[in-house]
Order: sequence, then C-alpha cells, then structure tokens
Amino acid sequence: PEIPGTEPGAASVSQDGVVLDEFGLPKIPERAQ
Amino acid sequence: MATLFPSHFSQIELRQARQRLLELLPDAGHGSVELESALNAYLALFTAFLQAPDEPGQESKLRHVLRFRWTHTLLGNTPEARQDAVFEVVSMCQNVALWYMKRAARIAGKEGITMEDAKEVHGSLRRAAGLVKAVHDRYIGQLQDEPLKEGDCDTRVITATINQCTAEAQEVTMARAIELKHSAGLCSALAHETSKMFTTAADALRSLDPSKVERWSKYLQLKAAVYTAYAYNYLGENLLAEDKCGEAIRCLQESKKFYGEAEELCKQYATAKGVGAKVKPERLLFFRKLGPVLNRTLEKCERENGFIYHQKVPYDAPPLELRDNTYGLVAPEEFSMPAPSPLWTPVTFAAFDVSRLGDRAADAKKAAAAEKAEGDLPPVKEVNENDTDKDQDNHSGCVLS
Repeated sequence: PEIPGTEPGAASVSQDGVVLDEFGLPKIPERAQ
Repeated sequence: MATLFPSHFSQIELRQARQRLLELLPDAGHGSVELESALNAYLALFTAFLQAPDEPGQESKLRHVLRFRWTHTLLGNTPEARQDAVFEVVSMCQNVALWYMKRAARIAGKEGITMEDAKEVHGSLRRAAGLVKAVHDRYIGQLQDEPLKEGDCDTRVITATINQCTAEAQEVTMARAIELKHSAGLCSALAHETSKMFTTAADALRSLDPSKVERWSKYLQLKAAVYTAYAYNYLGENLLAEDKCGEAIRCLQESKKFYGEAEELCKQYATAKGVGAKVKPERLLFFRKLGPVLNRTLEKCERENGFIYHQKVPYDAPPLELRDNTYGLVAPEEFSMPAPSPLWTPVTFAAFDVSRLGDRAADAKKAAAAEKAEGDLPPVKEVNENDTDKDQDNHSGCVLS
C-alpha cells in the first residue's frame, strides 16, 4: 500500500507499522538477505 | 494565426517547446529528466490555452484557436484533427506515457539489470499509468466531441493501458519479492493481484475490433494466466508449509492448468493479428522457469502425501487469497500540470484578440478542407535498440516484455 505524502520510490512505513522498501515490500533485515 | 498573438508573447517559444518534445518522443534512450523537463516547459507555456491565468476553473478563450493533428495507436497514419487544446493535452500526455512504457521495456531488456534499473523501470511504468489516468480522470470528459472509436481517447483503450502499466510495474515488485524470498503467502497475493490487473486490461479490449487488438489482448491474457499460475504455485507452497498437503496438491494442479493455458496463449499470440511489436514470451526465463518449479513441487507434495500426510485432495481448488495488507501493490504516480509560465501574465492573456478568428462553423469548414488536402501523416521513425535474448541472471528470471 502506498503511503500518502511519501516520495515515490522511497522507503516508507506502512499504516500497520511495517518498514517498507522502495518497492513497497517489507524490508528484510540485513542478515536475512 | 500570427495576427492573434500579441507581439510580447513568444509564439516561437511555444512552437519550439512543442518541437523539442516531439524530437525526444521517438527515442526511449533519452533520460527521463530530459523528457520531463521538455514536457514541463511545453505544458507551462500551453496551460493558458486550457485555463485563463488568474481565473481558476475558467475555460480559456484560447482553447479553440489552434488546430492539432494526432494519429491514434490502433488507427494507422490517418490523423484526427481537432481545434481543441484539451485534445492536444490528452494526446501529448498519452504519447509521453507511451515513451515511458518504451523506456521501461528498453531498460528491462538489457543485460545485467541493476537495482537502480529496476527502480527506474518501476517508476517509469507508474509514471506512464499516472499520465494516462490523468487523461481519463480529468481531460477525456472535457473533450467537446465524442472520442473516436478505438482511438487513443476511447476509454476502453485507456483502461487497458492504465491496467497494463500498473500490472507491469507490479511485475517488477513481484520479481523482487521472489528474489528476496518473501513469504509464499505474500508472493501468491501479489501474483493474484497482478493477474487480476492484466485480466481487467484484457477485458477492456473485448469489444474492440480483433484485427486491431488481437495481439495486444493475447499478450494481456497470457500474462494473466502466467500470474494466476504463479499465484496457485505460491499458495500451494504456503499450504504445504502449514502441513495442508492435500490442498497444496490441488493448488499445484491448478497452477499447472493455468501454466498450460499460458503455453496455449503463447502459440495464439505468435499468430495473432494487430498493432504493436511482437515479443517472445515463451522464451522468457520468468515464464520458462515456472513449469519445472511447479512440477517439482507437485511431485514432492504427492510423494509426501503418499508417505506422510495421506490427505484427501479436494475436488475444487482453494480460493486465491486477497489480503488487506498485500505489500508491493502499485499505484499510478499522480500527474500534475506544471504552473503556468511567467510569460502568462493577465496583461499578456488579455492582449490575445480572439475576435479576429471569425466564427467556429466557418473554421470547421476550412479545417475539413485542410484535412483532406493534408492527407495522412508519415509514420514516426523510432530509434530502436536491439533487446537481448539472454536470460537474466537472477532467481526470478524476470524481464519485462
């Protein structure tokens, strides 16, 4: 889901508090990547 | 026309801004910054032909002073001419959207795509969708005459384009979700949403002449089938992880069915008539990869069900899930008209003397005669770069077609 007011293509936080990457997918912690 | 423009308004500047944009459009190799700058420069000068400066909501007295000719994507080289600034904005925005679609395809088709490339492809497709959505939501309703059937202003063509661009942007997200090994539940939901968008696009074209849109429709239908196959494949994996092996088997059988449907659509696509460049979807790794993967998973499930679970395989496939929080869904990027150029002061606007134009009926007669004399427009020569046929070196194998 897009968060109004965020720069398109930038990382953001969803309404349910999940940190999203530039594609709107939940960010995966570094060690898991 | 020269007598209409006051001496302190640079008609040449407007013409040059338009010409600059028209020069960039046939070549998707230019950067988007360059194109956006040309688009903004032109629209900032052109905006007073839509709305009177300093009078928001007031139609410009200049709206009908210039005549524009544009060809339509599906209708060959015979142009449509309209003495309407709204027609110009609609046509220009759609052409810029087409440029963004070609830009995305060009980047996605090259070898060794980087994360920055993927972001640009994603952004370009969102931008394209946003431009066409603005045309649909704000400008089509303002056109004085009915849009030409099967022309670029036909709402069926517009709906198909918006959904295609949005779905293709979502394909990038889907590829990333697979790359980063996001949960099977998320991948399934995202694939399902993507499939639905391709289906909406294909449905919009159903009542159009097949000799013009058959190839386009087949492309959209096969993409819808591939993503439904992906959605069932991931739902199957998800159910297997929850030890629901019987349901997982049924999902994978359904995935196989849709994959077979997609293979059949690939064959139909290859011989389909219509406008547009041909791609070779059956050769794309993203498509080829799914078949062996789902066969392997199905065999594994059947083996485990025989040895461990002994669950009944349901007659009907479980429904694909729609979630409230499907991450990665794409929204078109909103398009805003730039602010009017500083050249447009109330004094400049007032200096335009439209009374010299004569009556509209006489103009229409002249325009019809001019149209006949002008004939067809020559096709625009596009700058093409050869796409690679090499497979992408990534897990999803995704490139955009």
